[in-house]
Amino acid sequence: MQSVISAIRWLSPLPVLLACLALFILMTMTFFDVILRSIFNSPIEAATELTRILMAIVVFSVLPQISAQAGHIAVDLMDSFFFRWRLHNIRDGLGYILCGVLMYWPAMRIWILAERWRDYGDVTEYLAIPQFYIGWFIAFSVAISGIVMIGTGLLILFAPRLLERS
Amino acid sequence: MTVALIGFALVLILVLLRIPIVFSMGLVGTFGYAYERGGSMLDERGLKAALSMVGRQVSDTAQDYGLSVVPLFILMGLFVNKGGMARELYAVSNAFLGHFRGGIAMATVAACGGFSAICGSSLATAATMSKVAMPEMRRYGYSDELSTASIAAGGTLGILIPPSVILVIYGLLTETSIGKLFVAGILPGMLGIMFYLFAVRWTVWRNPASGPAGERAGWPERFRSLGSVWAVLLLFFLVIGGLYGAFDFEPLNLTFSPTEAAGMGAMGAFLIALGRGGLSLRSTFEVLRETSFTAASLFAVLIGAQIFSNFVNLAGLPEALINLVTAWDVTPFVVILMILAVYIVLGCVFESLSMLLLTVPIFFPLVMSLGYDPVWFGIVVVVVTEISLITPPVGLNVFILKGVVGDVSTATIFKGVTPFWIADLFRLALIVLVPWVVLVLPEQMGAMGH
Repeated sequence: MQSVISAIRWLSPLPVLLACLALFILMTMTFFDVILRSIFNSPIEAATELTRILMAIVVFSVLPQISAQAGHIAVDLMDSFFFRWRLHNIRDGLGYILCGVLMYWPAMRIWILAERWRDYGDVTEYLAIPQFYIGWFIAFSVAISGIVMIGTGLLILFAPRLLERS
Repeated sequence: MTVALIGFALVLILVLLRIPIVFSMGLVGTFGYAYERGGSMLDERGLKAALSMVGRQVSDTAQDYGLSVVPLFILMGLFVNKGGMARELYAVSNAFLGHFRGGIAMATVAACGGFSAICGSSLATAATMSKVAMPEMRRYGYSDELSTASIAAGGTLGILIPPSVILVIYGLLTETSIGKLFVAGILPGMLGIMFYLFAVRWTVWRNPASGPAGERAGWPERFRSLGSVWAVLLLFFLVIGGLYGAFDFEPLNLTFSPTEAAGMGAMGAFLIALGRGGLSLRSTFEVLRETSFTAASLFAVLIGAQIFSNFVNLAGLPEALINLVTAWDVTPFVVILMILAVYIVLGCVFESLSMLLLTVPIFFPLVMSLGYDPVWFGIVVVVVTEISLITPPVGLNVFILKGVVGDVSTATIFKGVTPFWIADLFRLALIVLVPWVVLVLPEQMGAMGH
């Protein structure tokens, strides 16, 4: 178990790196699009569709990590109550498992959407990038998020020690 | 209508159980949608419709071109900050205000206002300024109440003074000009700074020990401190001016869409930070990483809120509301007052972005049917949202402060925030009673032919 967790920790910077790269490209591309358009009158025509794809990459690359590390925006008003009754671990564990299980349905729906795009042969306007790759990526990210959330929830409930960083 | 209200209550319960907002709203929204479609929460056809709505919402939101302004503006704020801008802004305001009683808290408020001009998020403003201002106020023996409250409140200005992520989203939702919204936010933002300064004065007048005076800076020192913030001003004018079409003349013909303005701002901030030597490869990575995380968690909330708002709309809440108001036969102003009351109550529990996403689709048609200006309503909504950021029990800015500072209880911060909260109510009253404050600048710009 320990080795699985350390493997996940070791791998976790990779998708973040991908998100950073996508974001940096998004920034640079937008900048040069404006410069090229205003000075040389030749905008980057694929900028809009690339923006959309890059955004999806940014958001869904980091989603699993946000989900596993309590990065979602939440309300901690009742924390002192839960801490007083020592219920916070149970609450967090069950919360993680619930949310993780819930991820199954959106992941599946997006997968179905992506398959439909593949059947229809949907591609982006200028670069003809197949839409379903993006769909797959999103579905995959949502599914991984669900799995890591369930895993985190189980660890919180049954083996909280393993989550502590050594 | 009843179903929608039950939905609201369920979201509240889940949120209080610390289920992340996206899941609380998403879960209730999905089942509510299924109920409205199929007549029961577990009706197969209803569930199928609900789930395909959820799937589309998830994949569409992340790929929404208009929303790309959000990460880019966050990026701009963070890069500027890496260039040490927060510290410099703070030094400037401190040089001018620090020697007053409570002056270092006043400087904090002013610096928050300045930082807001480059950063579109209240949470980021509060988080950044707390790292810079908190140690300084501690050093001078400021009370925890005053020091944390001045940052939490000052930070709320982030979403009013342009650029503003919230105004962008309001603009996208209601098809209102984002340029006009940004320009309209300037005067109310300055008013906000002024009113907060009064709140600081009031606090130290009540308890002089809470905010002793700092050292007086000489005029040469003051001017020297000013020299370092010109880059922020330049970037601000580039972004806001470009968005508004101020550079739309031969041979430039430069008008920015919001995404382009944000991209130029981010790149400009990146270059400034690079030029000042404040950026290593590592810190660039840190900035990009933080932006991705913030943007992704914002998008998640957005997705949850949209799922929930689809349900609320399907349940017919906006129409029910218009009918209700028509039946009451009250003056438009009373309706506005009631809407504000609803916002203040909702603001107690909802995160700012979700509150905006939940309420604007419901209230906007109503307010427009009463003949109010969409830009004005946008600013009013943002000011109310600002108030919600420091309203107990769920003032997000307060929690940010708690997160960064650590050893101060939320109760202490909320206590300190009270005078600022009251100052906000005064500002809101002014903006509602004198719409001129909001509309004079965008109308002037409009007269210039843009």
